[in-house]
Amino acid sequence: MKNMLKLGFILTAYTLVACVGLAFVYAGTKTVIEQRAKSDLEAALKELFPTADSFQPIATSELKASLESVVFTEAYTISAGATLIGVAVKASGPSYGGQTVALVGVGADRKVAGAKILENKDTPGLGANAASPSYFVDRKSKTTFMGQFSGKSIDDQFKVKGDVVAITASTITSVAVANVVKAAGNAAGAWIAAKGGN
Amino acid sequence: MKRLTRILLDGIVKENPLLMLMIGLCSALAVTTSTANGIGMGIALTFVLLMSEVVISLFRKLIPDSIRMPIFIIVIAAFTTIIDYLLKAYFPDLSKSMGVFIPLIVVNCIIMGRVEAFASKKPLIDVIFDSIGMGIGYTWVLVGIAVLREILGSGAVLGLRVFPESFQPILFFTLPPGGFLVFALFISLNLWLKSRMKPTVEGGAE
Repeated sequence: MKNMLKLGFILTAYTLVACVGLAFVYAGTKTVIEQRAKSDLEAALKELFPTADSFQPIATSELKASLESVVFTEAYTISAGATLIGVAVKASGPSYGGQTVALVGVGADRKVAGAKILENKDTPGLGANAASPSYFVDRKSKTTFMGQFSGKSIDDQFKVKGDVVAITASTITSVAVANVVKAAGNAAGAWIAAKGGN
Repeated sequence: MKRLTRILLDGIVKENPLLMLMIGLCSALAVTTSTANGIGMGIALTFVLLMSEVVISLFRKLIPDSIRMPIFIIVIAAFTTIIDYLLKAYFPDLSKSMGVFIPLIVVNCIIMGRVEAFASKKPLIDVIFDSIGMGIGYTWVLVGIAVLREILGSGAVLGLRVFPESFQPILFFTLPPGGFLVFALFISLNLWLKSRMKPTVEGGAE
């Protein structure tokens, strides 16, 4: 019994020291990590809507997913001055190597303003080309895989090998990403149609 | 001094954690699809290894034998979490591309193995040389494998194009089977290095 208490006490002492050390590192890096996440998001939103000057978060519960597998994690209204110019949705859906997270912007004209992959764990050289800035689905016009969604109407079919060009040898990734973009696009479009007037 | 250089060289060639001891392989094969990952993972592991070995060597007389494992884990986990925060704050791209493999350093056999087999018994100075040797041993193999896989698998290294655009990347090398093949090549390279070094090592005890 005595021995047990002694061992327990020693273990507690080590744990305490480790905790205090971690607390200091956490406090020191917390603000940097948060700022970085915030500026990353703003940069990404600005990329989709270059004219935007303010972003307001909206509750993701107001968005309806047309596909069950796609989950919306964050959403923002994008405004230039006082006019609403679009909605951006951060959506995640299953792909070949795990969840793929994409940021999809939809303009008030029901067209995809742009889509950008934030996280993708698919095979490098194959599925990972979805996020690559140097992989072109159309070499002549230098359109990247994500680039082909820009300007596309959200009422389109988003069918891979139909109106969406697939990534060579990565049909699963292509379908997964197209689904995420479509679901996010539809939800954003529906939100604009319902509330955009206010 | 000779003893210390031998400890250092042991980690790099003779007892290379990946190629001779063959521990910690999963993450090594998984992150070596790109050179940047290889360098980042190598540095992260070396940091955790060095700090954990130093702390445990310093406190080795204050760690009761019956609870040494939980204490090792606490120390390793603390340093892993520190490097995870630091990477997230200052190298977000690297942190993103290595994903789950940074937190998984906690359960990396190399660290647990060296802490248990070496740091918990040896004085500080030996331990520093051992962890640096093991760290370099781990990093050079990782970077070597990653460079080869990246060149053959995508035609570029660290964003610099090695082969012209017309080169058709050999996708096999970025996929897991290619990783195993390149890994095997490095094992034979290391065995050759070891056979060349043997006569010069004092005593030659294996």
